[in-house]
Amino acid sequence: MAGVLSKQVNLLNIALEGLMLFGAMAGVMFGAWFSSPWVGLLAAMLFAGLLSLIFALFVVDWKANLIVAGLAVNILALGLTAYLLVVLFNARGAFSPSNLTSLPKVNVPIIDQIPILGDILSGHGVMVYLAWISVLLTSLLLYRTPLGLHIRAVGEHKDAAQTAGISVRRVQYVALLLGGILSGMAGAQLSIGDLALFSDNMTNGRGFIALAAVFFGAGNPWLTSLGCLLFGFFEALQYRLQITTGMPPQLLQMMPYLIVVIILVVLALQKRMQKRLA
Amino acid sequence: MNSKTKWQKPLRETGKVVFTLLVALLMGAIVMQLSGKNSIEAYRALFTSALGSRTAIANSLLAATPLIFTGLGAAIAFRAGIFNVGVEGSLYLGAFIAAWVGFTFITLPVVVVIPLAILAAALVGGIWCYIPGVLRARLAVDEIVTTIMLNYVAILFTSYLVNYPFKVPGVANAMSAPISESAKLARLAPPSQLNSGFILGFLAVIMITFIMHRTTLGFELRNVGDNPIFARWSGMPTAWVIEKVMFISGLLGGLAGAANVMGVNYRFMANFSPGYGFTGIAIALLARNSPIGVFFVALLFGILRGGSSTMELFTDVPRDLIRVLEATVIFFVSIEFTLGWLRRRHNGRLDQHPVRDNSGQHTAHPGSDGGSAE
Repeated sequence: MAGVLSKQVNLLNIALEGLMLFGAMAGVMFGAWFSSPWVGLLAAMLFAGLLSLIFALFVVDWKANLIVAGLAVNILALGLTAYLLVVLFNARGAFSPSNLTSLPKVNVPIIDQIPILGDILSGHGVMVYLAWISVLLTSLLLYRTPLGLHIRAVGEHKDAAQTAGISVRRVQYVALLLGGILSGMAGAQLSIGDLALFSDNMTNGRGFIALAAVFFGAGNPWLTSLGCLLFGFFEALQYRLQITTGMPPQLLQMMPYLIVVIILVVLALQKRMQKRLA
Repeated sequence: MNSKTKWQKPLRETGKVVFTLLVALLMGAIVMQLSGKNSIEAYRALFTSALGSRTAIANSLLAATPLIFTGLGAAIAFRAGIFNVGVEGSLYLGAFIAAWVGFTFITLPVVVVIPLAILAAALVGGIWCYIPGVLRARLAVDEIVTTIMLNYVAILFTSYLVNYPFKVPGVANAMSAPISESAKLARLAPPSQLNSGFILGFLAVIMITFIMHRTTLGFELRNVGDNPIFARWSGMPTAWVIEKVMFISGLLGGLAGAANVMGVNYRFMANFSPGYGFTGIAIALLARNSPIGVFFVALLFGILRGGSSTMELFTDVPRDLIRVLEATVIFFVSIEFTLGWLRRRHNGRLDQHPVRDNSGQHTAHPGSDGGSAE
């Protein structure tokens, strides 16, 4: 959803990856200091949000190149999290604090009584539900509020929006900030959603996969989440196949990345066909 | 052009680079002080271990070798307006192929096996980046996302190769068999591992300078980078130029891999690269895509890298600090990195038509003036 927001202000946010990694780190760090995954989640949102504000300062106010600055955020996150891991916890590579539990699982009251549906929809970590709530909220925000209208207007045509009296600067800031907070939550899901563990570069390209999902959904929250589900499905499939068939894990791990490329190619071909028809 | 103006620009650019690096070192110092480390001690350890002796200098040059290749690879693509992040993937595949040649054709003499391994690595690396190049040129598939994805594919695929088909029995780590003696590049300054790969890197700098400034392709790629619409309208084969540039970019990545396998590790090891390709991007940006600039900036980064492990050893400042320095550099480059092309590409459609103002005169493209009008 973070990607959707930035896409809608027409800022290709490749910093998602780094923001997630930062969130994951903050989640474990503060979770460990306060022995509470909830504090960790809050810290993840706070720090990823802060970092995204810095990113916005560079991109929006100082007219920094978006992609180059995004790259900088990613490298900064990679370096700083690894650095802090060693300096603060004396752990190289991975860190799993003993006093930290992961976020609780949620059993949805009525639904968990229904046989098959209950297994599918109930008993996931809190973040899974928060993710779907965020899809709902993002789509409400974008299509049902004045701010959403402004965000879309800025994305559609910046100068026109400016002329119509919308503060482009403020809108871009807000979108990037919200995107940062959501990325922080995504990072927290990785580090304290299931395992309570942080390892170097644990996001491993998920921020980019999310970007691909945004392309897939053309900036629409529901379509994008469909894309995410698809990628999630392939990832789950990969784990399952690894266990049941004994196929080399590296080949299976390649799948999600290859599929992103294939989907992008298919979308491009489709676009070209449409153009030819029109 | 008189000699004063001729020298002004390079001098000013060098000044900017030095300033950026100083800011980065300052940022690193702040991070160290905040986390309770002695930054002066750390920097002293870093620079003495990188420049303190003949061997130290040789080791810094060694550390710079892969960065020269990846920096050049990034620079030539950027100059043509293509944001190729895929040099890292080419590096992995090139490294593997070089190792494969090295441990398969063990009976071939030096004069055959070394060129063969290098050519194979260059070819495979080139083809790997050629793929996203075609996708970008013919189908307008965003090359940033595809090259990032293909990096993961290349890293995982080579890891698969040494874990399954080319697994060496009895070796616990994921690595290939060692290459033959005749496939090893000559050492230049023992005991340092500095080898003729560095010379190859220097030759690559000259070659790329020549291509960019003295050939038709160079002329075309600079035009495509500066103004793709103008390039197309003046009859340049834009798509073909992009594909060729991507091939060269990947080729350089492949060479970086070959230089590492044949000069340093003498075998392919899974996940061996500490992000040479990405550092190459930082280098190209800082060098403003100038091949000669890449050479010097790569040397500077080589010093930082070369000294960082000793710094970690003696002052327990983690070497990941270097990444923070790199990120700071890129941040600062990103602010003044206001060349027209990236703006044009992501700032909307307006720029695709020449803008007419009320007086009927053509005004400059909104994207090409560095955004000061926005």
